[in-house]
Amino acid sequence: MANGVAETVAGAGRSGSGALEVRRLCKSFGKAAVDHLDLRVEYGELYALLGPNGAGKTTTLRMIAGLLPADSGDIAICGINARLHPVAAKRLTAWLPDEPMLYDKLTPIEYLEFVAGLWDVNPLAARQSAHDLLQILDLFDQRHERCEGFSRGMKQKVALAGALIHDPRLLMLDEPLTGLDAAIARQVKDLLVERIRRGAAIILTTHILEVAERLADRIGIIQNGRLIAQGTAAELCADGDPGATLEDAFLRLTRSNGCAA
Amino acid sequence: MTGRPGTFVWFLGHELRLSWRQFRGLFHNFSTSKTIAIILGVLVVFHALAWPLAHWFHAIETDGARHFYIPSLIAGYLFVLPWIIAQALTSSTRALYSRGDLDLLLASPLPARTIVTARALAISAESVGSVAIFLLPLVNMNILVGGRHWLSIYPTLIGCGLFGTAIGLCVTLVLFRLAGPRRTRFIAQVVSTLIGASFAIGVQLANILPGAWRDGLIEQIDRAEPGSWFDRSSLIFLPVRAAAGDWPAVGLWLCLSIAGFGLSASVLGGFFAQSALASAGLGAAAPAKPRWVPGHGRFRTGAARSLRRKEWRLLARDPWLISQVLLQILYVLPISIVLWRGQGPQASIGLAVAPFLVVVAAQLSASLAWLSLSGEDAPEFLRAAPLTRHQLERAKLEAIAVPVAGILAIPLAWLTLLAPLAGLWSLVFGAAAAACTALINLWHPMPGRRSDLMRRHSQSKFIGLLEHLMSLLWAVATGLALSASAWALLPIGLSMLLLWFNRQKIAAAASA
Repeated sequence: MANGVAETVAGAGRSGSGALEVRRLCKSFGKAAVDHLDLRVEYGELYALLGPNGAGKTTTLRMIAGLLPADSGDIAICGINARLHPVAAKRLTAWLPDEPMLYDKLTPIEYLEFVAGLWDVNPLAARQSAHDLLQILDLFDQRHERCEGFSRGMKQKVALAGALIHDPRLLMLDEPLTGLDAAIARQVKDLLVERIRRGAAIILTTHILEVAERLADRIGIIQNGRLIAQGTAAELCADGDPGATLEDAFLRLTRSNGCAA
Repeated sequence: MTGRPGTFVWFLGHELRLSWRQFRGLFHNFSTSKTIAIILGVLVVFHALAWPLAHWFHAIETDGARHFYIPSLIAGYLFVLPWIIAQALTSSTRALYSRGDLDLLLASPLPARTIVTARALAISAESVGSVAIFLLPLVNMNILVGGRHWLSIYPTLIGCGLFGTAIGLCVTLVLFRLAGPRRTRFIAQVVSTLIGASFAIGVQLANILPGAWRDGLIEQIDRAEPGSWFDRSSLIFLPVRAAAGDWPAVGLWLCLSIAGFGLSASVLGGFFAQSALASAGLGAAAPAKPRWVPGHGRFRTGAARSLRRKEWRLLARDPWLISQVLLQILYVLPISIVLWRGQGPQASIGLAVAPFLVVVAAQLSASLAWLSLSGEDAPEFLRAAPLTRHQLERAKLEAIAVPVAGILAIPLAWLTLLAPLAGLWSLVFGAAAAACTALINLWHPMPGRRSDLMRRHSQSKFIGLLEHLMSLLWAVATGLALSASAWALLPIGLSMLLLWFNRQKIAAAASA
């Protein structure tokens, strides 16, 4: 690890900053995809970003993950300015897209070795962590089989194990539960909750409102690249009719905002 | 071709439409009218090129050199039939493993026999088409020059298409049963590529074979005794007799090929469907490995080391890719032999081998660089890793340098023992050529799937041309340097200039 990066990473989170702070983030593809977005996610918090298709959720996450350059605005990950020090910021984060990014010709254990090497994880810690993750995710018996024969759910689990092996402080998950069966979805949810308990921060996008309602500490609703509402599920529901569900609140907010726009 | 939905004719129409669209995809940048114009233009050029060849054929048929005629037809037959079989092998395995529409088809009420027969006919049409575009201009010109018997090649070629497809289908399914789904794909791909490569070697065969051997072979073919290897009355030579204008042989060949095709498609239809379903589990049944216990893993620190190891693992585990990369050596080999023989009795081994090694180094490096840089399976994942782009690219280039050096180490050592100076120049110029082609791939990424290695230049013909030009320039420089000519500096300078222009272009694009 380069000295500058090591110092930046070592100093991360000391200033009392949140795990993620996004200020006035903008991105345009001809039309504004993300428009002066402000977000803050605390350590030990799961933040769900909801929004209709094309609202700018994935674009936001990709900018935070350093995969897409922002037009303007600030991104701070554990106090590190991610736009100025992308490598230092990436050392503390993990990105899991909706389609698992794997090497079909590698086995799960080899994939985890590779990821641990990229993040420069201590070999002993990585070995133990790989062992634990494969056990928890029910992949231990398939650890020496190549990923090419795996189902989508199994691939997603391998990718999740890869995202967690370096014990990231901030996890960014794009539709992590889409296409998973109930058993695998449960394993993934349990693992995420366990990471939250250990102090990691998670920001995820999902179309499954029930997941956001049950798992998220706070929910942000984004439309046309702007954050139109934010709060706990109860807070968002309380603004509408008595007995309204998160689905009702989501539809009310996105419709009224859509009309206003 | 339409027909009532669900019938054989209707499904054949669907398959042929897909084949046409796949062919049309080669001209994706052009409108239909422009595509047709290009095809017509190519056909006109091929016909023009075939004109002198037709006169040559006419001359050997009439001017007492007839002993060349049958060997030429046999040579053509030996190219066409294996080519069609290779195409059928590739297409059959693709049909088995590319399950995009096969699940849908096999789940439909269409009988498996109908599906397989129609698909096999489409494969046959594709194969015949791929040969016909080169062969038929020559046939047409021969007909014009006066040989009406050349008309028989049209039905003979259709027979070859049906017969070759039937053999390809049978071989695929036998391999599937004997070697299992995983190996079948690999074997079929390698065999079909080898057959394809036989063209490159075959066209040079006349130059490679010693003169005495060549004349003896022609003599044996021309004056074949009954019961000998080249007895033209035997069934093996039926297509040759048909191509030579023996109309009863044409009829017999067509009947045999139609019967063979119909029999294989109808008998193997069900088996093909079963095999396709069996290939669905491909990979899930990977052999069990020894138990892994904590502490026995191969976890190491270092991003560059991890990246290099990942690249080597992915290469080592894809034998098809390795075969494709190594086959490039096979394509260059005949040129080297011709170069050697062309120097006469005082031939220099260094002058024949050194440029060949330089070209191989450049081509290997280009292929591996493309695989590593553009064929990356998880580019976004790597961009999310805590590495700068420079670190990432450097590790990848280091990773490809090792296999290039490994493959060339033994021939280089052998050459150095025989001709030390040639060995030294090969090492220096080979390294330079490899670096050049790797840099071109680094500066001009063409993202694609690893399996598209051999089709990578369809994205940018310019890059393909540049790669080949670099190989050629460094090979010429090697040859000139070995001849102690100062002109060697010219191709080196040109290559450096090309590299510099590309660098400037990339820098300008980045700053914009």
